[in-house]
Amino acid sequence: MSTEITTPITQTEYTKEKKVGEGTYAVVYLGTKQSTGRQIAVKEIKTSEFKDGLDMSAIREVKYLQEIQHDNVIELVDIFMAYDNLNLVLEFLPSDLEVIIKDRSILFTPADIKSWMLMTLRGVHHCHRNFILHRDLKPNNLLLSPDGVIKVADFGLARAVPSPHEMLTSNVVTRWYRAPELLFGAKHYTSAIDIWSVGVIFAELMLRIPYLPGQNDIDQMEVTFRALGTPTDKEWPEVSSFGSYNKLQIYPPPSIDELRKRFIAASENALNFMCGMLTMNPKKRWNAIECLESEYFKEMPPPSDPSEIKIK
Amino acid sequence: MSLSPPTFQTQLTLSRPYLTRRQISKLQCKTITDRRSYNQKKIVVIRYLSELCTRLNFPRKTLETALYYYQRYHLFNSFETELCYTLATSCLVLSCKQVETMKKINEICNLSFVLRNIKMNPMKNAEILNNFKKQLFHLELKILEACSFDYRINNYVHADEFIVKFGKKLGFSYQVCHLAWLIGYDVLKLEIMLIVPQHCISLAVLKIATELIGQDLEIWKKRETFIKLDVQQLQFQEAYFDILNFFINAFELCDLKDNLPVGVPMISIDTFIQLKKRAGPEVGIREMNESSLKADEYFAVQREYTVRERRYTLIQSLVKDESNSLEKMH
Repeated sequence: MSTEITTPITQTEYTKEKKVGEGTYAVVYLGTKQSTGRQIAVKEIKTSEFKDGLDMSAIREVKYLQEIQHDNVIELVDIFMAYDNLNLVLEFLPSDLEVIIKDRSILFTPADIKSWMLMTLRGVHHCHRNFILHRDLKPNNLLLSPDGVIKVADFGLARAVPSPHEMLTSNVVTRWYRAPELLFGAKHYTSAIDIWSVGVIFAELMLRIPYLPGQNDIDQMEVTFRALGTPTDKEWPEVSSFGSYNKLQIYPPPSIDELRKRFIAASENALNFMCGMLTMNPKKRWNAIECLESEYFKEMPPPSDPSEIKIK
Repeated sequence: MSLSPPTFQTQLTLSRPYLTRRQISKLQCKTITDRRSYNQKKIVVIRYLSELCTRLNFPRKTLETALYYYQRYHLFNSFETELCYTLATSCLVLSCKQVETMKKINEICNLSFVLRNIKMNPMKNAEILNNFKKQLFHLELKILEACSFDYRINNYVHADEFIVKFGKKLGFSYQVCHLAWLIGYDVLKLEIMLIVPQHCISLAVLKIATELIGQDLEIWKKRETFIKLDVQQLQFQEAYFDILNFFINAFELCDLKDNLPVGVPMISIDTFIQLKKRAGPEVGIREMNESSLKADEYFAVQREYTVRERRYTLIQSLVKDESNSLEKMH
């Protein structure tokens, strides 16, 4: 069977109709896949402007999105070269959780939050079971399809789960969503860093303001440990051996009453679910399966049907 | 079907990361006019890249991936003697990104100049460096196009890592694995990387290592060994015979003979001839017949880079669906 189509076609398959964004390494356009009429987003990679050639974010984005197809992960529809530029065709996703959290005119319920968390964790679990760490989970990277489905997006910082002795950079994840092991500068970490980010996003959805908004990297430690307690060797063996540990103020972990006061609408199971994700010791932190099997998802109210969540 | 290039606006290509020997020859017919010169340059490039990798402390997988790119590039782009070092360096830069062994591009470029004895003019250093980098980055995308942007290859599976993994799984000694790892370096000189996946090569290399040490193991005769390790037997045999043939036909090019670990019996061409004799008839992956090869546009038509929209996919059904819908339209 021939695997190449070279039949003369008078027009290109993808159009770029409107520029909708520009990042450091790409320009994003809205467009249409001509043969099906499907609305798509085209990410044109700016290759020539980079001093290091093809940007790592573009490479990672293609590398990992090619590997995973899941309802809750953005779909890489196609890749094409045009005029010596690399273009990634992605599914069109008109909104994201950051927009929804910030838009005070949108009201959402605990059942809506549960639905978003369920979809997010399904997407994250799919990444983890394919040995991929996302490393940049935040509301802005949880996009929403026109029918309300959450899609984990932006794999520009993703990487494969490292081998046991591999050294990694701890300078990953947007500051407010950064796990404590990253704040300490750990050279090796696991998928637990993504779960921490999901925990912070869950708290933000309930509060509707960022939960741990550090001003800088040092302040992030202060804000994180003030809210959740400074970890000790007892619960996280050898945490005190991190270089930056000695300078820390020791805060006690919050009592359940303090958490109840902060998260007024949260049920006991919701608080337990959040604490599981925001456990300081990465080895004790819940993994994606534990999160998905949590009592929080089994208790009332059931998660909303995504297509029925009114976001506009 | 008309194939006049100016009418093409879009082209869809399905990635084929592995090809048969005949398919490779067919493609190289169009890109390599002087085979001898290509082979000689390849050996020089391997030495050059090995030296770069050693000095920059890169693991074997970085070198392996760079050499896959170098050979893959020449399936769809003409071989030009004077471009070799630039292309090889570009392959290494891309390989670093692919396997996440990051280094500053300037560091790689400067070392490349040192290794090639390029005398830098202090007045023009920055200009020379920038021009070289521009050439590297231009080639990066061409290399990726030659690979159809298929990042599945050289992502999780690398021959050296699977030598260790399989070696452990099969309970082989350190000596066997070490010897296999050394043979693995010579394998980088072959085109087998374009033909079968790396884990099949790892297992073939381990078999040769056990045989060189004098172990005649039953596991190589059992189907379960291959099933357990998810290795297709024909691909394994293709690699096994290809490696033996290299040692028989080009023994003087092998690095193994000068780097045998202590305790391993001496090797010669005859050692490998004996192994081949014992292995029985040479078998490997099935070749496409000539008429199918001629009918297949992937091999029959020269890759056209003037097509405005060159699409690359990994999904066979997508090509089928679009092909069907086009036929209906016409």
